[in-house]
Amino acid sequence: MSAIATSAERTPETAPRGETIVEFKDVWKRYSGRDILAGVNLQIRRGEVLCVLGPSGTGKSVTLRHINGLTRPDSGDVLVFGQSIVSLSEEQLTPVRRRSAMLFQGGALFDSMNVEDNIAFPIREHSPERTPEDVAATVAQKLTMVGLPGIQRKMPSELSGGMRKRVALARSIALEPEIIMYDEPTTGLDPVSSEKIAQLIADINVRMDTTSVVVTHDIVTARTVSTRVVFLHQGRFQFVGTFEEAVRSGHPVLQEYFRAMGFPCGTGVYPALPKGV
Amino acid sequence: MAQPEPSATAIFYRNLGWLRFVDRFGRKGSQIVDYLGGLFQMIGQALVGCVTRPFYPAEVLNQMDELGVKSVAITGITALFTGMVLALQTAYSLEAFGGKTFVGRVVALSLVRELGPVLTALMVGGRVGSGITAEIGSMTVTEQVDALRSMAISPIRRLVVPRVVAVVVMMPILTAIADGLGILGGLGIAVLELRMTFQDYFTSILQQLAISDICSGLAKTVFFGFEVAAIGCFNGLMVEGGAAAVGKATTRTVVYASISILVSDFFLTKLFLAI
Repeated sequence: MSAIATSAERTPETAPRGETIVEFKDVWKRYSGRDILAGVNLQIRRGEVLCVLGPSGTGKSVTLRHINGLTRPDSGDVLVFGQSIVSLSEEQLTPVRRRSAMLFQGGALFDSMNVEDNIAFPIREHSPERTPEDVAATVAQKLTMVGLPGIQRKMPSELSGGMRKRVALARSIALEPEIIMYDEPTTGLDPVSSEKIAQLIADINVRMDTTSVVVTHDIVTARTVSTRVVFLHQGRFQFVGTFEEAVRSGHPVLQEYFRAMGFPCGTGVYPALPKGV
Repeated sequence: MAQPEPSATAIFYRNLGWLRFVDRFGRKGSQIVDYLGGLFQMIGQALVGCVTRPFYPAEVLNQMDELGVKSVAITGITALFTGMVLALQTAYSLEAFGGKTFVGRVVALSLVRELGPVLTALMVGGRVGSGITAEIGSMTVTEQVDALRSMAISPIRRLVVPRVVAVVVMMPILTAIADGLGILGGLGIAVLELRMTFQDYFTSILQQLAISDICSGLAKTVFFGFEVAAIGCFNGLMVEGGAAAVGKATTRTVVYASISILVSDFFLTKLFLAI
């Protein structure tokens, strides 16, 4: 049995209720004449695993990219570590980006480098004073953490999809970030690999004391790792709460989404919450 | 009987062709302004990156090898055969006037002042410019450029500056090699086909060729190299979409780089002749 608690075991009462580490204030973002984000408000708390759920094309990844300034809002404000980042230049964003990391959908490993160089890359860039032996030891430790020891010499092209994601995850945690953003971490993976990635997310969140924001449409992953889930639809967060609350909420769009994903909803297993709850 | 006034709708449809033309013209103009604005912004950031930390000397050397040393063959072969053709054509044209002895100086002057720099730049623009766009474009569509940004590493400093510096440094070297090979190609034709002596050929060159000719030719290539690398990098960073978009961007780089080289060659030639 996995040592990692699912959100079913982590009740809302035991969920971490730390300080606000990221805050969206009335964020609007428009692409091709369509409001992808239409006045989004959200607070992300230190130490939690927040899953952003929603159908494809609703702006989940766009939301995520606002946290480290890869995308700027048309209006509104995004505060990270208490600091507004919307008007910061790329250079000024450096301190925020050094304290956060992002796992991209395809892994975004550098094709021209082997696994060791990929993971060591951010360390060598930001900590040039560290010795090669020290960096190599850190790389080995991170690879062990993601369950892939001894593959330092392999090239990204030699890895399977799941392995690429795990190596990318090892690279993401190389600088011990405070916030880790996961963009569709299990998309395109088989169920076994998805389960491994989901467990790693939960494991890393606990072991490294990080805050995790996971964009996914994989309900099983959300159930496994989430402290809270938010449901993005039509440019707004239609629901914010725990996974169980989401399943039992009776929110029509959310229920339709869960059913479309093949998850039991509004059944005897997860009866709808009484009105007003 | 007076003609009725045409309605506003009728006037609109009568001028629809013109309106469409103005609309298309405006959109294209706006795209060009956007493109040039973005390109010059990137160039400004790259120039700042050239003189401020962090520097990536190992990456610059790697790019000098990839973009410069590996271009020696293609630029050398181009120049060698251009020199041979120039010798043949010059001898054919001047034979009636007994001007075969001028072959050396015509070949050398043409190559050193104009053909060497321009042909080298065009070949490098095709090989290196498209290669840069394809590489950076692939990195852009696979989110590797965003990964760099998310790690607080500037793609301008890490990707653009080393390539620009490498091409700017290597272009004059490639041109000098091309000039030399072109002159040797002309020598081969002069000796084997035109029955000239080695000494006659080089005496003719040394009588005419001045240091200023060589310097102006090589100085142009610094600008050509900068244009090729900057256009290649910018088009790569601007790719949106998938593999097809990378292909289109690569083609665009070859076209823009070639036009840019030929247009700037005119103005640089005017400038260097005036100096």
